[in-house]
Amino acid sequence: MSEKPRIGVYICHCGLNIASTVNVKEVVEYAKNLPDVIVSRDYVFMCSTPGQDLIKEDIEKYNLNRIVVAACSPSMHEPTFRAVLENAGLNKYLLEMANIREHCSWVHEDKTIATEKAKDLVRMAVAKARLLEPLKEPEFEVQPNVLVLGGGVAGMRAALELAHWGFNVYLVEKSPTLGGRAALIGWIESKRRGSDIVNAMIKGIAQNPRIHVFTNSELVNLSGFVGNFTARINVNPRYVNEKCTLCGECSLECPIDVVNEYEFGLGRRKAIFIPFKGAYPQTYVIDYRVCVKCGECLKACRYDAIDLNDKPKTLDVKVGAVVIATGYDPYRPFMGEYGYGLHEGIITLFQLERILDPEGPTHGELIIGGKVPKSIAFIMCVGSRNTTPNAKNYCSRMCCTSTIMNAIRIKEKYPDTDIFIIYKDIMTYSSDERLYEEAGKRLIKFIKFEEPPTVSVGPEGLFVNVYEITLQEEIRIPVDAIVLSVGMVPRRDLPDLITVTRVGCGTDGFIREAHLKLRPVEAPASGIFLAGAVTGPKNIIESIKMGSAAAARVTALLSKGRITVEPLTATSDKDICSGCEVCVGVCPYGAISMTEMDGKRIARVEETLCMGCGACVAACPSGAMQQKGFKDSQIMAQVVASLGGV
Amino acid sequence: MSFEPKIVVFACNWCTYAALDLAGTSRMKYPANFRVIRVMCSGRIDPQFVLEAFKQGADGVIVAGCHPGDCHYINGNMKTLRRMTMLRKMLEDLGIEKERFRLEWISASEATKWVQVAKEMVEQIKALGPLKSKLEVMV
Repeated sequence: MSEKPRIGVYICHCGLNIASTVNVKEVVEYAKNLPDVIVSRDYVFMCSTPGQDLIKEDIEKYNLNRIVVAACSPSMHEPTFRAVLENAGLNKYLLEMANIREHCSWVHEDKTIATEKAKDLVRMAVAKARLLEPLKEPEFEVQPNVLVLGGGVAGMRAALELAHWGFNVYLVEKSPTLGGRAALIGWIESKRRGSDIVNAMIKGIAQNPRIHVFTNSELVNLSGFVGNFTARINVNPRYVNEKCTLCGECSLECPIDVVNEYEFGLGRRKAIFIPFKGAYPQTYVIDYRVCVKCGECLKACRYDAIDLNDKPKTLDVKVGAVVIATGYDPYRPFMGEYGYGLHEGIITLFQLERILDPEGPTHGELIIGGKVPKSIAFIMCVGSRNTTPNAKNYCSRMCCTSTIMNAIRIKEKYPDTDIFIIYKDIMTYSSDERLYEEAGKRLIKFIKFEEPPTVSVGPEGLFVNVYEITLQEEIRIPVDAIVLSVGMVPRRDLPDLITVTRVGCGTDGFIREAHLKLRPVEAPASGIFLAGAVTGPKNIIESIKMGSAAAARVTALLSKGRITVEPLTATSDKDICSGCEVCVGVCPYGAISMTEMDGKRIARVEETLCMGCGACVAACPSGAMQQKGFKDSQIMAQVVASLGGV
Repeated sequence: MSFEPKIVVFACNWCTYAALDLAGTSRMKYPANFRVIRVMCSGRIDPQFVLEAFKQGADGVIVAGCHPGDCHYINGNMKTLRRMTMLRKMLEDLGIEKERFRLEWISASEATKWVQVAKEMVEQIKALGPLKSKLEVMV
């Protein structure tokens, strides 16, 4: 751009967030003397409407063609100020932000030092702004299809909403049935089970022609970019087709016997089985991981529903966006943790949910380890809140409520049962507090611990030993059964999915949202959205809400049919490029190819494939390759300015 | 006045820049000696930028990005690792002490790691003294 830069510098007080540590007026005065700066101002909240108007008016009044805003992190308000430039008729990439809040006022205490640093940051921003160029955002058509990973409540809710808005949905579930964990556990309120909600959703999905369900399937590769992804799905064989009448003869003959994961390890199942009563698709399925293809089921089946020659299939689907809703794993206590695995009277909260389920292994009868317990102790925060060295440091959110709800249900049916809830803190947040009150009325005994209790397993039976803090003494409670209130942890296979989708995870191992307040339900990678417990512990209702929210965000992205993307791509200067091809090998996206132009072999960047990492630019020996918005000259100007030069 | 080193930081947008933002939102405190230059990926960082920073008078330089395997752009940080390993040899030949240049993997959630790196580096460089005076002596 040939016209001379005319820069406006705007310093934000952010209330006192910046102004209490940085002398804003001093920075304003300093900026006035920087090269090409025409006007420099401050305002209490630059992002507010009057603040934005201030910039807009100045652009018109002083004919400004570059704007520097010194305020918060660009991840916070860069979009806001870009919109201001756009509204004032200026290309929105002529903005540079100086991060004087997160990187300065909030991390330093000395006012003089912080002010000097703020001046440096503004000088660096001005140095880059002088070299900014207007950029055009490439516009693409988008695929009106969405990939939803995970067929639990969050994924199903997202799929239903997206289908409602007219998108085709590919709903991919790793297990042989839709429903997820809510189909097996949990109560929304005392009369509504998780499975009631799951069944209603499954019904809606089965009837919806826009939702294509792939069970027993997984995403193995994701290429492309926002609006135009190609997803490769592996569909594992079910070996059973829709002729199945659920008669169950096959299962009786099957010789393979494995632990039933749908009862959280309480019972056993065959290799050919139906996961649970309301499973979808409504057919038996052969677990391809354990089946030995002996053919016994084939002989037993009278409906020609089994085909042992079924093969795995791979298919590619084109989608505009991806919703990840793959959920969580229950925390699995290690052998001997609070006696787990040493006595059949010690179970987890998830197993108790199955025992109390009318469709569970005991048909809803409270039978733990073969007998009806007269006394039960619940131990809380197992695997959560740093209670043990290998516990997670977060709270799993749903365990307090579901423990107390289950204790009340036991008291309703077996009023004489003695129940002890041994807890660290009770966090029945929001309206669940009434359950805590009700538990007290039903004489459920709450015992608070500071040091985690211990469990002794001996010939005399089970005992929980805990230091009771009001009595100030160690007490020993004999019980018939112990329920470990285990929390939620990231799925064991989540790291594989993170690798395939290139989303990031936080320290807890769950997928991180781009910004909890400004970009909720979005992954940092564009076009990928998140729902449910894949981002951290959630209860059923929260997961469903997040499914709806993710669907709304996808709709906002894809509904226009076309999208624009940040133009921070690489371009090669044909006059400088020597055709050495170093860049071709460096590009992780295969976006660079060699082409003939004016009798010369040169590198050409396919803009739709370039993701804008800039690796090729750093590799280019001649400087022919440059990244828009991050040119060598622009970065070098920042380097010089950072050390006092202008 | 005591010697306050000038340290230039090249940080990738997705991990380290976000970690510095997190240090801010968490109100952690660290020395004010750092000037951060944001790039989209650490793979964009040309070793020449680092050399230029030293030439312009930086007492130290940090190149930082996502952990290996976590790169937002698949494997940009592996390219950084290769380039910076070579650069390190070159800096050694130039007589620039190894403490003055650091390659760090700092993820978006590792604000505490950043603070630790920052404090450590300032301390080390203070002990070494300014770079420029030494370079002048060498010339």
